[in-house]
Amino acid sequence: MTTESVTTKAGSTIRVAPGVLAGIGAFAAVGVYVLVSSVGLGLWTSLGPGAGMFPFAMGTLLVAMSAVWLLQELRRPSARGAGVDKEVVISVVTSLVILAAVMDLLGFQLSMFAFLLYHLKIRGRRTWVPSLIIALAGSVGAFYAFNYGLNVALPVSAFTPLNLIGL
Amino acid sequence: METLNELLGGFATAMTWQNLLFAFLGCLLGTIIGVLPGVGPVAGVALLIPLTLNLDPAGSIIMLCAIFYGTQYGGTITSVLLNTPGEASSAITTIDGYAMTKMGRAGAALTLAAVGSFIGGTIATAGLVAAARPLGEMGLLVGPPEFFALMVVGISLLVALAGKSMVKALVSGALGLLISMVGIDPVAGAPRFTFGIDNLMDGVSFVAVIVGVFGLSEILSFRRNEPTPVVHAPGFRQLFPSRTEWRRSAPAMARGTGVGFGLGLIPGMTGSVSSLLSYATEKRFSRFRHELGKGAVEGVAGPETANNAHANAALIPLFTLGIPASPTIAVLMGAFLQQGLTPGPSLFTEHSEIAWAIIASLFIGNVLLLLLNVPLVGLWTSILRVPTPILTAVILVFMVIGAYTINFSVFDVYVMIGFGLLGLALRNLDIPLAPMVLTLVLGPLMERSLRESLEISQGDFTVFTSRPISAVLIGLGLLIICSPLLKLRKPKALMEDPEA
Repeated sequence: MTTESVTTKAGSTIRVAPGVLAGIGAFAAVGVYVLVSSVGLGLWTSLGPGAGMFPFAMGTLLVAMSAVWLLQELRRPSARGAGVDKEVVISVVTSLVILAAVMDLLGFQLSMFAFLLYHLKIRGRRTWVPSLIIALAGSVGAFYAFNYGLNVALPVSAFTPLNLIGL
Repeated sequence: METLNELLGGFATAMTWQNLLFAFLGCLLGTIIGVLPGVGPVAGVALLIPLTLNLDPAGSIIMLCAIFYGTQYGGTITSVLLNTPGEASSAITTIDGYAMTKMGRAGAALTLAAVGSFIGGTIATAGLVAAARPLGEMGLLVGPPEFFALMVVGISLLVALAGKSMVKALVSGALGLLISMVGIDPVAGAPRFTFGIDNLMDGVSFVAVIVGVFGLSEILSFRRNEPTPVVHAPGFRQLFPSRTEWRRSAPAMARGTGVGFGLGLIPGMTGSVSSLLSYATEKRFSRFRHELGKGAVEGVAGPETANNAHANAALIPLFTLGIPASPTIAVLMGAFLQQGLTPGPSLFTEHSEIAWAIIASLFIGNVLLLLLNVPLVGLWTSILRVPTPILTAVILVFMVIGAYTINFSVFDVYVMIGFGLLGLALRNLDIPLAPMVLTLVLGPLMERSLRESLEISQGDFTVFTSRPISAVLIGLGLLIICSPLLKLRKPKALMEDPEA
């Protein structure tokens, strides 16, 4: 997918989008932080460049490019893009964070089964039978395929009762 | 003669049933990734790396290479049947490919694209065989200053061709380099940008970053209720092009091979650029150029041949000099490094058997893809009928597994989520992602060669200008970066390369 910014014609009165300003500000802040940290790491040693030299150069580049970008935006602001579907972002990110939080505790199979069921049944509004089949295949099926087929260990539950029943 | 013997030895290794199976699975998975709109080759290759974790190095790289060029084939199917490119380098194919579908010639378009891809890929692989030894020997003469300068040129080219704004491309490149510096400094042993988090001492997992930035951010930019496309696969009888279509395609395939192979050798050039320039070449040189845009076979055969020739030729700088020519090759390079293989001249001296086995597998893979693509077009199109929520859920499973299994740590899943949000922000700010991936992989190598160079010269920066090769390369890199100031404009078509 591509996100194309459509620049406005010169002379247009569109102001710089707050999101763009926030982005430029964030990059500039990262650049400044890197610059300050790099000095602490040491720019030069008796042997030659220190651990901070390369990051210092990149921090400088980031700050400089943020400044140039800001000037470009002030001269000719980018039109706002299509934006994002906040509901999609919140539901996907939240469910992934919860999955990551419980995966070591409940094990891959149980946590992934719940994760898939949420995405298929609740978010995707699929019917029960395909939701259950896909959730089982993606959790239990994937666990056995990776653990025993590819020798790649996926986490098992830290709870003894769940562990004893193979989860 | 010696090269031929080594290649035959490579075939002996690549033709074992295990390696043939890995090549077959790679082609299968690559085609699926290519067919799925939204999962590009970069994220696709990255998230399938876990599948190859416990394979031997040869098998692992054979499978990942097969995935890589399988995506090139797969992307064509949706371009022709749905007017939706499965991946960026097939975007131009939509023009005449979809027009042919509307004329009832979808089957012929897919067959010509597959045959063109096979020819382009095979000739480019033959080029790799021919270039491997001489370029590898030349590569041995490259010292740290030349290596650093070569990487500067590669990154400069990608930055210059990525998106419409060089400033944004430089921001992306700088971000990638900064991310690559997280962890223990290799020379001084001091932790850098770890914020006291133990998990960051070894650096940020590049697989988690790439899966997040390219894959998860793509899913986060989906919209609710996206319709499942209606697609009709051509029947078996419709797969055969007419004699006229074959005759008209041949010169387009030849030109596409030349364009794709030539551009594939240049770091920073993407497959999209090759297919775009191939289309432009057809517009200029084809006898039937007036038909382009209305369902001309040249508009399918040329670009599709070019992007596969490009994909295979782009492996030449990787194998011989250790320079990834595109973001997907950078991911492949990361996989090489994870398997303890360092791409470059030393690959042919230290791991000759593996290197030649991988090259031999490229020939085998091209044949497998030809056999898989044409007769099984019905199977590939059935994937497109799977509703979006199901596809999204399945892709998310692979992303979580991919991020987790690199270090067997949930921390990497959080890293993937964080970088998914960063990728979404970058997309919304219209910042190209390709420079970030390339610098993420090249960063440690670039820093090491810079520091080695300056240690050799005892801190004298003229080491880069006093050696002729590095002086020329640094000059070239500066010229590329400064070209907007010098009013050396790049062609409009390249500025809108969706892959960059």
